[in-house]
Parts: sequence; structure tokens; C-alpha cells
Amino acid sequence: MADRSFSISRLPGFGTIAVAVFVMLYAPIAMLVIFSFNAGDSVAIWEGFSLRWYPEAWANEAVKDATWRSLQIATCASILATTVATMAALGTTRRRATRGQSFVYLMINQPLMVPEIVTAVALLIFFSSIKVATGYQGLGYLIVAHAAFCTPFAYLPIRARLEGMDLSLETASADLYASRWQTFRHVTLPLVLPGAVAGLMLAFVTSLDDVVITLFVKSAGQDTLPTYMLAQIRRSVSAEVNAISTLLLLLTVVLLTAFFLLTRKRT
Amino acid sequence: MSDENAVEARAARKIYGQGAGAVTALDGVSLLIRKGEFFTLLGPSGCGKTTLLKLIAGFESPTEGQILLDGTDITYDPPNRRPVNTVFQSYALFPHLTVADNIGFGLRMQGRPKREVADTVARMLALVRLEAMADRKPGQLSGGQQQRVALARALAPSPKVLLLDEPLSALDLQLRKEMQVELKRLQVETGITFVFVTHDQEEALTMSDRIGVMQAGRLLQVGDPRAIYTRPANRFVASFIGESNFLTGTRDGDTLALGAGPRLTATAMDGAPASGPVTAAIRPEQVRIVQGGGEGIPATVVRSVYFGTDTHAVVALTDGTEITVRMQSPASGDAGLAPGQEVRLTFEPGALIVLPEVA
Repeated sequence: MADRSFSISRLPGFGTIAVAVFVMLYAPIAMLVIFSFNAGDSVAIWEGFSLRWYPEAWANEAVKDATWRSLQIATCASILATTVATMAALGTTRRRATRGQSFVYLMINQPLMVPEIVTAVALLIFFSSIKVATGYQGLGYLIVAHAAFCTPFAYLPIRARLEGMDLSLETASADLYASRWQTFRHVTLPLVLPGAVAGLMLAFVTSLDDVVITLFVKSAGQDTLPTYMLAQIRRSVSAEVNAISTLLLLLTVVLLTAFFLLTRKRT
Repeated sequence: MSDENAVEARAARKIYGQGAGAVTALDGVSLLIRKGEFFTLLGPSGCGKTTLLKLIAGFESPTEGQILLDGTDITYDPPNRRPVNTVFQSYALFPHLTVADNIGFGLRMQGRPKREVADTVARMLALVRLEAMADRKPGQLSGGQQQRVALARALAPSPKVLLLDEPLSALDLQLRKEMQVELKRLQVETGITFVFVTHDQEEALTMSDRIGVMQAGRLLQVGDPRAIYTRPANRFVASFIGESNFLTGTRDGDTLALGAGPRLTATAMDGAPASGPVTAAIRPEQVRIVQGGGEGIPATVVRSVYFGTDTHAVVALTDGTEITVRMQSPASGDAGLAPGQEVRLTFEPGALIVLPEVA
């Protein structure tokens, strides 16, 4: 062998382990997708191909209601999170590095590290006192809660984009008579936009599939798609849930593909 | 006289950082740049020339001192309020805008009418000969074309002063020569005051009306290229711009005595000590070697190196001081100088300069 450098792919068992990992990752998802086309009620016994669960799920008012609520929350929360994340990214990349810089990063990314259940309980207690004080019971709590834990997901691609930007572009803009706002509007924003859209999509997907925080924060009758599915499965396992999951999977794949295309390096 | 000056710096100081880590980038520079001239700030990297440019552009404020534009104090005006534009070393073209939109950027930000913006952009494209590239993005242009877009973009709003921060350093030699000619042409055609920053002495000599030589945050000498070259104000200027031979000796009026050796006729610069130990400088091309006796200072050939058009010879004076002599190579290619050969050196009066510093 001419190339004697170390390569992990030549270790014994590498292929076997790789295959095993992929099977473990994707076999359950494949099963879920396959059984969403099952003719029977069972999620374990194949009774022939059918598309019946898709229209059946769509005809279910509770599913429609939960889907609509999920989309509303995900849309509002991801826009809010992206706005906050853009400002945070500007604040952390467009000024001289200070001593507390890494601490600030830590604070912004805190939702990624604190156990979700802790955040959920904290928000439950926090929001219930506000609910008592104001009497407001709407979706606002869920939107704010989702925006909070989605912010780091939006922040990371935006910061990466801003850090990769040539700072002399903003200097050049100021030199060419642009005010700070004009510089942001005509130079910074168009250049950071792919990062912001990528962040928005990542935040959207993250909000869409949240269960833990939603369960703790939601008021009665505020089921989102994931919490509705959880409730269904606790009653009886139905292929309807498989159909809904498959559609969610499809949406996620589409959004993540778009995210990938937006964030990959231009040649 | 203030209406003849485009830019004036008054005792400008710039200190970066505080306490023990503070760095003085600019150490009290006072400078007048005349309207319509091609002025070059020349010096090695870290001499403060780019800092001075940033003070004029408004990207930095001086720690002390003032910057005036057309006689008006602009020391603390933000860059977008100054009728001054910059050509950046990295060009800093907006990658998401076309060439035409890049050039029109400054005018649009000033809120000029669309018609005027379009007319000026067309005029600028013609000026830098890039009409065919109007709809391209900067990423699709070559380095030289990007350079010309950067120039057109900075010239489009008709600034009172154009600042150029080592704009040619990223180009290869051939292109750099072409752009030197191009820049000079643009400056003459537009009549705009150019302030050009470079560490390349040849660039400075060929393009500038006047040069300011800087070192370690100080302005050492200001003058036209000939004055800077033939009458350097000190040892640094004499060695940074071109080459110089330095001789130490004792001055007595118009003569310089090299130890116990020869006595030479020397021209003194202002501020040179009237007597006592001094340093004098002479350019290698000002010294002539005479073979076969006659007038001149006796010397011995140490070595001679053939460079094509030039031949460089190193000769030693009787006191051991080595002097480099540059002469045109003869047609035969062989200057006939062998190591150890006895020769005589002559130079025109005025070629040997006594510098204003003690040896």
C-alpha cells in the first residue's frame, strides 16, 4: 500500500458498525413510514397497502385543529426567535471582543444545555403566576416559550454567516455616505439573509416537534400536533399517527434540505 | 492660504489601547495636503500611514489633534458625513450588488435622483473602461477589474479627497504597472485630490506630486519625489527610498574628512552640524569609477557584480569604508574591474549630502 497514513475506515469492523448504526437510526423510521400505508388498524401486522390513513387523519377535526395550532406557534415563534437571534448575532460579532464574550455565548445557547424538563417546569411555574395575574390564556405563552428555546438554533447559522462576512464591507458602506440603518438595510441584511432564512427554518422545525415544554406550558384545549399524537398513542396505537408522523417527516426533510442548500459554501 | 489645502492634520496623535499595552500609532503628525495634488504617504508597515488615512476617512478619531477638510474641522464627523471616499486594500466591493449598483451605491445613499445616478454610473464605467461589465457581480471579475470598480465606486460621488489604501498591493507586477499609469491618468482627468498610501518607494516616486515619508508614527519629510530622493532629510529616508552609501567623518565647512583619509566636498542639509562628527550620504549611481589614475579619491575594488543593464561594484576607501557604485554596463558587458584593482572615485558637487544628525 502506497498510502500508509492512518484511516479509521480501515479498522476491522468499521463497515459492520457503520451499517448497524444506520439501521438503528433509520429502520424505525422506515417501519413508521411503511405502516402508514397499512390497510389494517395494526401498527405491527401488515394487512396490505392502502392510503386510507391519510384522508382519515385529514378528516379528523382534532388533527386539523392541532396542525393549525402547531403551524401558528411554529411560524410566530421562529420569526420571533430569528429576530432576536439576528440582533444577538450582530451584538456578539459587531463589536470588539470583551472579556465576557464566551459567557455571553453560553447564555444565548443556554436552552441547548439546560435539561428541557427543567425549562418546562420553570416556565410552568412562571407562566401560571402570569396567567393568574393577567387572566390571559391564549397561545402567547406557547409562542414565547418556543421562541426562547428556538433562539439558539436560529442564532448559530446567523452568527456563522456574520463572522464569515468581510467587515470592510460595512466600513465601505459608511464611507459611501450610508447611515448605520442604511448600511444594515443595504449591506448587512442582504448578506446575512441566507443565514437568517436557514436559522428561521431550523427554528421552525425545532418548534414544530417540541413535546416536553409544550405539554407543561399549554392550557386546556391547546394541543399541538405532537402533544395530540402523544395523547392518541396513550389511548390506542393507531396507524393514523403513523400517517401524521410521515407527513411531519416529509416537511422536516424538505426544510432541512433547503437549510443545507442555503448554508453550504458557495463555490 | 487655507483654501489651497484639501486636508490638514494638526498635531494628530493616535494611541491604541491603554496603560502598559498602549501603542502610539501616530505621534503628533502635522501635514498640509494641497488641492488637486497626488499625495503619497510612504513608509514601512506599522509606520502609521494607514492610521493617518483612517483619521482622514473618519474610521478612527485621533486621541489628540485635529483633522481639517477644506479648512473645516471634521475631526469627529462620522465617515458618512465626510465628502471623502476610500479605495480599500481588499477593494471591499459589495458581493451581492452588480458592478453598476456598486458604483452607484454612494450616490443612492446620498439620495440623488435616479437619473443622475444612472448618468454618473455610465460616466464612471466609461472612465474605468468597464462598460461591458455593468451587470456582472464582483465575484465574476478579475483582480484588476475589481480594482477599477473600487476606484469608480469611490470616485462616483465626486469626493473632495480620494483616499487609497495600498490599492495595488494585491495585483501582480505587470498589472500593478498598468494600474499606476491608470491611477495617475484618473487623478489628472478628475482633478480630485488623491491621498495614496504605500510602502513601495518606486510607486511613490513615479506617481506622486509630493511624498510624505513616515516612520514609527512620525512624518519625517515632505517634498516632491526629486527633493525626497536627492535631498533626504535623514538616514532613514536616504535608505528607505533608493539605496545610499553612508560615510561618517568630520565636517569642516564644505569639506568632510574621513578619518585620516580623503577630504571630500559635501553639501550640508538644513540642521546638519556645522562642525564635528557627521554622517553623509551618497547614491550609488552618483559615484563614478575612474580607471588608470588621474583626479579622484583613491579606492580598491572589492568585487563587481553584473546585473544586465547595471554593474554594481563595491570599492573600499583607504580608511576601509566600503562604497557601492552603480554604473551602466558597457557594451562588452565587462566593466574591467578586478578585485584588488586600484581605482579613483569622482562625483559631482552636491551628490554627497551631510545629514542633519551626528554620526
